[in-house]
Amino acid sequence: MDLSTVWYIVQGVVWTVAITVLSFAIGALGGVGVAAARVSARRWVRVIARGVVDIIRSVPPLVWLFIVYFGLAELGLRFSPFQSAIITFSIIASVYLGEIYRGGLAALGAGQIEAAKSIGLGRPDLLVRIIAPQVVRTVSPSMATYGIGLMKDSALASTIGVVEMTFRANQVAQNTGQGLTAFALVGVIYLLLSAPVGIWTRRFDARLREKYLVA
Amino acid sequence: MSHESAYLSAQHITKDFGPVRVLDDVSMDVNAGDVFSIIGPSGAGKSTFLRCMNLLETPTSGTLQIGDFTITIGPGHKHATKKELSTLRRNVGMVFQSFNLFPHLTVMENICLAQRRVLGRGRDEACERALVLLDRVGLQDKADAYPGRCSGGQQQRVAIARSLALDPKVMLFDEPTSALDPEVGAEILAVMRELADEGMTMMVVTHEMGFAREVGDQVFVMVDGRIVESGDPHQIMSDPSHERTKQFLSAVLGR
Amino acid sequence: MDLTTWLGYVVELLPGLWKAIQLTVISLALGYPLALLFAVLMDSKIAPIRWIILVLVEVGRGLPLLVLLYLFYQGLPQLSIVLSALASAVWAFTWSAAAYATEIIRSSLRSVGGGQREAANAIGLDDRDQFRFVILPQAARIAIPPLLGLAIIMFQLTSLAYVIAYSEVMQSAYFLGTKTFNYFPVFLAAAAVYASVTIPASALVTGIERRLSRHV
Repeated sequence: MDLSTVWYIVQGVVWTVAITVLSFAIGALGGVGVAAARVSARRWVRVIARGVVDIIRSVPPLVWLFIVYFGLAELGLRFSPFQSAIITFSIIASVYLGEIYRGGLAALGAGQIEAAKSIGLGRPDLLVRIIAPQVVRTVSPSMATYGIGLMKDSALASTIGVVEMTFRANQVAQNTGQGLTAFALVGVIYLLLSAPVGIWTRRFDARLREKYLVA
Repeated sequence: MSHESAYLSAQHITKDFGPVRVLDDVSMDVNAGDVFSIIGPSGAGKSTFLRCMNLLETPTSGTLQIGDFTITIGPGHKHATKKELSTLRRNVGMVFQSFNLFPHLTVMENICLAQRRVLGRGRDEACERALVLLDRVGLQDKADAYPGRCSGGQQQRVAIARSLALDPKVMLFDEPTSALDPEVGAEILAVMRELADEGMTMMVVTHEMGFAREVGDQVFVMVDGRIVESGDPHQIMSDPSHERTKQFLSAVLGR
Repeated sequence: MDLTTWLGYVVELLPGLWKAIQLTVISLALGYPLALLFAVLMDSKIAPIRWIILVLVEVGRGLPLLVLLYLFYQGLPQLSIVLSALASAVWAFTWSAAAYATEIIRSSLRSVGGGQREAANAIGLDDRDQFRFVILPQAARIAIPPLLGLAIIMFQLTSLAYVIAYSEVMQSAYFLGTKTFNYFPVFLAAAAVYASVTIPASALVTGIERRLSRHV
């Protein structure tokens, strides 16, 4: 495979990373809302949140992608492939990250909240100084792992025409018949992108375990 | 006391965890029927030493002799074979601080498993023996219960029965009552006392000074991986000679 | 869009659902036993075996399933190996499922506490008996819910086989869309088809999880 083709495929990384990072960032914020709704004091909010989360998780991402790109276009909402990808993955990420936050909140336990209240902390302080830091520390590895999953899902955007890595590799494969080389190249890049996160997660996990387990 | 006549003899046991020396040249000779207690501050290496007795931990060097079985560990010596380990563990029973019952098996199954797989006893024989042991520890009616449904004290009694099922010659107890309420712990100590009275050879790591004093034949005080003092329990506890022993006992008993 | 027409769409997608289920079942029937093998071999004393399995698992987990699919369908022809859509899908899905399942199995084996191993050692059980009577039963109870969860995810991922012209749900939906020009209702019907399997299945898995953790 000549260098220009390789370069063509590699440039797709920009789109891959863009989709991943944007969707993750929006999802990280949206997840707070989702988690809040899931643990809301009002029952109807909790029920609706549960329903929405279940439905979104029960349908494959590809279907949601098609609904946003092809389906909404019928109703007059035309989004570009890139926009459709961001919209779809942001919503999905909000749901999954929200569930991760919820898990972290549950692991925190009521004791922390009680202790904070008993020394007179008000709600915003409580959230920012006590709950958030601890939850973030607990769920960071899970969030990182999800981020990797999101990056792999970004490959789906190739099906609606976003010119990220998988799309370009597919093009090259169909035009030149060098599919194995093309996809092997793409595979290596995915692995290189996810490796540092994997290593960080393992080290972070080990450090957490060290901290809380005095042997 | 010569090494040859002792039933269990540990000689120059040393254990290193990386740069840290956890056991430093510990030796102990136990005669049949003896009840030895090992006391001392946390981190002194007591549990590690006990676990070297049935090779759950492998010493860095030293010699272990139990009955006819002898093994020397160290550079130039072979590792214990699987068969040797199996024989060793048939003769040495162990009771853990955290009971470690198998949660997915009933009490009866817990006690029968090793009998059938290690000793090759048939199901009926194993069950009979299990019921006898359960009766002995006062838990006949719990035979078909799962450990999750038993209290801590009950679980520990099952654990004792499970170890006794293999008819061991020596029983090792690693802080058997530390995870239990004092009252419940007393029940366990009573069972252990009965065992001692029946002539079982026992090595007990414990914080229960009463037991060490009343039931033990000898007490060993271990500090920083070494035995600093040993001898008659009554004498050591009322009039310790070593400085560390005095420190330790005053902290433990003086409350 | 009236309800009858929409339900008609759902019915037209059902053959695709059947193909999706077939692909899922075949891939798991091959992939899960493979994962058990991988999990055990990863602790092999023979270094080359460990390395090979490690690579297989890391690649299977590290690459998007879509890329794996393309590798078999579009990539192998470069070596003059041409696989059918179904064959490519089975290879890709089996590899992916096996890679993820291997991690689940290894994690479940690690979760069986050290105390259990110690107790088993202390009563003289040899390695094989230990594994068979103490470690494996407990590890299985821990591993089954996530393995079932993975199965549900794999089922959802069959939607990807759309790109290699395997006639499962998405493929059928796309054609139906081009025929009727009613993409929105058609894809909603596809969503409904998936949800109708996934939601009850997830509820079942939660129920199983609850029953399994009763004794432990």
